[in-house]
Amino acid sequence: MKLPYYPGCTLKDRTSQLEATALAAAEKLGIQLEEMPNWTCCGAVYPVSETKIVNLVAPFRILKEVSEAGSDKLVTICDFCYNVLKRANLAIHEDPVKRQRMNAFLQDDDRRWAASGQQVGEGQEYDGGVTVLHYLQMLREELGFDVMAKAVEKPLSGLKVAPYYGCNLLRPPAEMEFDDPENPRIMEDFLEHIGASVVESPYRIECCGSFLSLSSPEAARRLSHNILESARKSGADAIMLSCPMCFYNLEQKQKEFGQHFPGFRPMPVFFFTQLLALALGLDPQVLGFERHFVDPIPLLKERELV
Amino acid sequence: MRTEISADKVKGDFLEKVEELSGQSIWACYQCGCCSSGCPVAEEMDLLPNQVIRYVQLGLEEELLSSKTIWLCASCFQCFSRCPRGIDISKIMDALRQMAMEGGVDRFGPVEISPSELAKAPQQVLVTVVRKLSA
Repeated sequence: MKLPYYPGCTLKDRTSQLEATALAAAEKLGIQLEEMPNWTCCGAVYPVSETKIVNLVAPFRILKEVSEAGSDKLVTICDFCYNVLKRANLAIHEDPVKRQRMNAFLQDDDRRWAASGQQVGEGQEYDGGVTVLHYLQMLREELGFDVMAKAVEKPLSGLKVAPYYGCNLLRPPAEMEFDDPENPRIMEDFLEHIGASVVESPYRIECCGSFLSLSSPEAARRLSHNILESARKSGADAIMLSCPMCFYNLEQKQKEFGQHFPGFRPMPVFFFTQLLALALGLDPQVLGFERHFVDPIPLLKERELV
Repeated sequence: MRTEISADKVKGDFLEKVEELSGQSIWACYQCGCCSSGCPVAEEMDLLPNQVIRYVQLGLEEELLSSKTIWLCASCFQCFSRCPRGIDISKIMDALRQMAMEGGVDRFGPVEISPSELAKAPQQVLVTVVRKLSA
């Protein structure tokens, strides 16, 4: 199976372990993720103001390129990229004014590229025909969790993991159509298929504080701490997530938690692709735990998983 | 600050501008408070999300554009997800930010990011914070 893949900025740098494990696991599962030859930033946030339509250009261009390359699907991993690409695509598909304006804008853009000697697409209208898939959806719907489970060499037996969804995968639900917004299951199903024990914690769909960790750090810290404590009280060894922003707030920021929350005990946080790579028996070199603040190795050793 | 409600404010064009920028119907709100009960940052806010909508209905522009609340919304969409009237409050918050920024307020620009954050924070956080809070 071959699918076009959009990485986004963060996976190429600050959370390269997410991309490395995702690509290695896909290869092991027989999925060829082909990185788009030209990609730009998706914009990171979906432009919500009705007057800032120009902010739709970046995701529109990405989606149009996928369509012009002859594909009707696009896989991405970062929750923010997924949210922006999916919502932009839906807006283009459902709103004829936005569709027309984006296509007109890109025609000008194509002419400028052509004038500078660059290769451009065929100048066809793009109508939002690409299906944007998150990597988890790719595993469930394109490959099948049961097929994934058959490739597991080292079931994560005894590892008690609390899935954490955050915001951008699930919401707004009418546009994302990812899972039940109040009681999602996809991460739990994923964990069961790689042999881990699922721990449900009540804060799994709460916000981690997002960009407030820079602009209002005390608020973000409170939210992230609530999520970690909720997972701990529910009996989890670790948290599993998919978003690089959540990883920053829930994992990297634990470094500061000790001084703000007396008695705080650090908790390992995994990207779901790291657990997948581990279960598929891939070379531990690929896991990239050296980028983590809380080293998960002692926990994995205790559970005899490394 | 003293809050003055007047017929002039209610009939002013503030509400229309918020509706235009956000694409949301302000009068659809019936003040059930679902948004505020689920809002993760309600604790830090000076005006709760349902109050923000009520203030827009009453034309209280000054109070809204000088509130802490509009800069605290993290766009987690929990309010929108649970609103029985289908109002995307994060869009209203963004519209109010946009109006405040057009008035010269810049809540958090690139220069305010500390060197230690700049060295570690994922690109997506850096882009998002600037796009959301800076003109």
